[in-house]
Amino acid sequence: MLKIAVMIKQVPDSQDISIDPVTKTLNRSMARNVVNPPDVNATEAAIQLKDRYGGEITVITMGPPMADTALLQLMGMGADNGVLVTDRVFAGADTWPTGFTLASVADFLGGFDVIFCGEETTDSSTGHVGPGIAEFLDYEQATYVHKVEYENGFLIVVRDIEGAEETIKIGTPAVLTITLNANEPRNPTLKRKIDAYKKGIRLVTNKELQLDPACIGLKGSPTIVKDMKTVPDPIKNPSKPTIEELDKVVSVLIEKGVVK
Amino acid sequence: MSDYDAIVVGAGNAGSAAAITMASKGLSVLLVDRSDPPGTKNLSGGVLWGNDLAKILPKWQSEAPLERFIQDKKIGFLTEKSSIIIDFKTKIFEENKVGHTVLRSKFDPWLAKKAREAGATVIPGITVESLVKKDGKIIGVEESGDVVTSNVVVLAEGINPRLAIEAGLRPPLQDWEVSVGVKEIIKLSPQKIEDRFNLSSTSGLASEYIMGNLGELNAGAFFYTNKDSISLGIVAPMERLRENGVTHTYDIIEQFKEHPSIAPLIDGGTVAEYGAHMIPEGGLEMVPQLFGDGYMIVGDSAGFGFSNGLVLQGMNYAFLSGILAGEAAVEAKSRNDFSSSSLSTYKRKLDNSYVLKDLRTFKDIRKVTNNKSMYTTYPKMLESILLEMLWERGQPKKKVREILGSCAADLNVGKLKTATDFYYMYRRM
Ligand SMILES: Cc1cc2nc3c(=O)[nH]c(=O)nc-3n(C[C@H](O)[C@H](O)[C@H](O)COP(=O)(O)OP(=O)(O)OC[C@H]3O[C@@H](n4cnc5c(N)ncnc54)[C@H](O)[C@@H]3O)c2cc1C
Ligand SMILES: Cc1cc2nc3c(=O)[nH]c(=O)nc-3n(C[C@H](O)[C@H](O)[C@H](O)COP(=O)(O)OP(=O)(O)OC[C@H]3O[C@@H](n4cnc5c(N)ncnc54)[C@H](O)[C@@H]3O)c2cc1C
Repeated sequence: MLKIAVMIKQVPDSQDISIDPVTKTLNRSMARNVVNPPDVNATEAAIQLKDRYGGEITVITMGPPMADTALLQLMGMGADNGVLVTDRVFAGADTWPTGFTLASVADFLGGFDVIFCGEETTDSSTGHVGPGIAEFLDYEQATYVHKVEYENGFLIVVRDIEGAEETIKIGTPAVLTITLNANEPRNPTLKRKIDAYKKGIRLVTNKELQLDPACIGLKGSPTIVKDMKTVPDPIKNPSKPTIEELDKVVSVLIEKGVVK
Repeated sequence: MSDYDAIVVGAGNAGSAAAITMASKGLSVLLVDRSDPPGTKNLSGGVLWGNDLAKILPKWQSEAPLERFIQDKKIGFLTEKSSIIIDFKTKIFEENKVGHTVLRSKFDPWLAKKAREAGATVIPGITVESLVKKDGKIIGVEESGDVVTSNVVVLAEGINPRLAIEAGLRPPLQDWEVSVGVKEIIKLSPQKIEDRFNLSSTSGLASEYIMGNLGELNAGAFFYTNKDSISLGIVAPMERLRENGVTHTYDIIEQFKEHPSIAPLIDGGTVAEYGAHMIPEGGLEMVPQLFGDGYMIVGDSAGFGFSNGLVLQGMNYAFLSGILAGEAAVEAKSRNDFSSSSLSTYKRKLDNSYVLKDLRTFKDIRKVTNNKSMYTTYPKMLESILLEMLWERGQPKKKVREILGSCAADLNVGKLKTATDFYYMYRRM
């Protein structure tokens, strides 16, 4: 039986974000929170692994109390447990304390055979956190994974390496970061969501974790964001396509049977 | 044994109100909504009258995410070049503060949270696929092949009640039963709103217009102030839109926004949200059988709402019908009888409330709101009268009677037609 964790983060829905033309900062006020899209793929990958080899899945997020809905959604897909790591002292964390805190939580929960992460988040997209967790825990790691098999304590994973694929075999325990669209995530179901609701979410604060305040939250964050600039849209005035180019597009569409 | 006493489909105003009523009386309640957070895709113009909400949430005025209380209410007519407006500002609104603008994307999640606090199991992000029937009785709902059962299902699906229709509990929607509402939320700073509309930091304005510049579409428009945005939109009967070949409701909202008396009000604002939604307008004739073995229908799904061109209300009818259905379920539970005859108390409660009383009182209102002259002729007539009376053109002045006569002649309406129109308006409104 595999002990599996999935690390997930709530992000503002990118469809709802705009850039304030005056202050040049992201305007998230109208944005709904959604689960970071590749984290949903990571959850699906975890469920597929469990379906084939047996196991128990715990979804974990560090975030504000309202992030519990994200956990319920993923438990509705088929994860067994939800853990919400929430405490004021964790707020304002950059990627270093985020990785450190999540690694400590994994340790606190008795460690895992496989920890799934998304490849990166849509709101900060550093991709640091997964590898960070692996380093803090001294686990094996594979990034940009879209396929996972398990064999006698080893993971055989297929990685995306910009234009090619790489298949590697790594030991466990391991951290895998899963690419966006690696799979087609199943929908949560009513019955599973009801079960998740009944089971509830486990809250973990620093009372239980007892992490050094200097290593967590804003205090533990070595990065200082000094400035943020909006980069102008590179194709502001795209040249109009020529008739010949349009003809080509149409003939391809006809060839593929999209239009008649 | 059923999984729940009650399953409520839809966490809009009606569904959440029903869930709160039942859960706070100890019933086990499952409230399911297709969006997550619940209700975030719902749409109203946005004036909420809270008398009914106060029955289940007495502290709503301090707890709910409200925008501005309505202090200034305007109603009027727009023609191509003019606006004729009655501006009703009263201390009475300020003292009572029951009318507030709201943004549903904030308000509905709050209301669903209240249902959760009352003890209901609230499950967002799930679309119920069908109702489950056994021996002619509704016994639960189905989703992804799983069945969840309950003693009673409260259908609060909103205006297009797919589940009720598919289960044969009501016929499919007809064009004449609905209007289409198109709405935009336009961001504008609180400072600009307060300066432009002469408001304080908490007071607000709600305006409704008869659109005399959109011909036979019989369209109305609304314009409401929120904290830092304007909600505005157009409402037109589906039949009129189809008859006039309007497929892009987008065009008609632009005509409202570009009107000379509206454009300056939204100058400098940016469109933040855009949506379209149907509104029940069929009155008493569209109300289906409201209850049966194991089910009750509430809110828009039941066709509850009121509109007369100058007032558009549905949220309060949704609250009250939800509350009354909730009470009926609580009573049914005490009898442990969820049969049609036991749930008929819901209908009796509605009969004694303003929900069905209003629908009965105004059962002929569509004859007024459907009257094309209301939109094409009379706004122009008013404009002509005011021009004659208020515009000095160096010409001999006329008596009102003469003005009326020449206007009617210009617009080619018979005096008799005008007289009968106004007589019926007087009788029916
Ligand atoms: C405008 C802005 C600028 C920033 N600049 C920096 C910066 O320059 N340097 C810096 O270090 N930080 C920065 N941060 C903070 C950074 O967003 C956080 O550290 C964040 O918690 C983790 O980084 P990420 O979102 O890039 O995650 P990634 O490393 O991209 O996430 C990869 C995966 O890790 C997992 N994961 C990430 N966060 C969590 C979580 N909270 N709970 C559970 N799993 C999680 C998920 O599986 C996710 O798919 C910035 C934030 C903002 C808003
Ligand atoms: C443009 C416009 C302006 C309006 N202005 C006003 C106004 O100013 N004041 C006023 O009082 N009223 C106004 N109304 C009317 C008002 O919005 C409605 O009457 C009111 O929202 C009805 O509430 P309800 O709970 O019945 O339906 P809704 O609020 O529509 O809620 C229905 C809910 O059911 C859910 N649902 C549906 N099917 C399923 C399913 N199968 N599974 C799970 N969930 C499901 C939906 O997600 C939704 O949350 C306006 C309406 C429009 C369109």
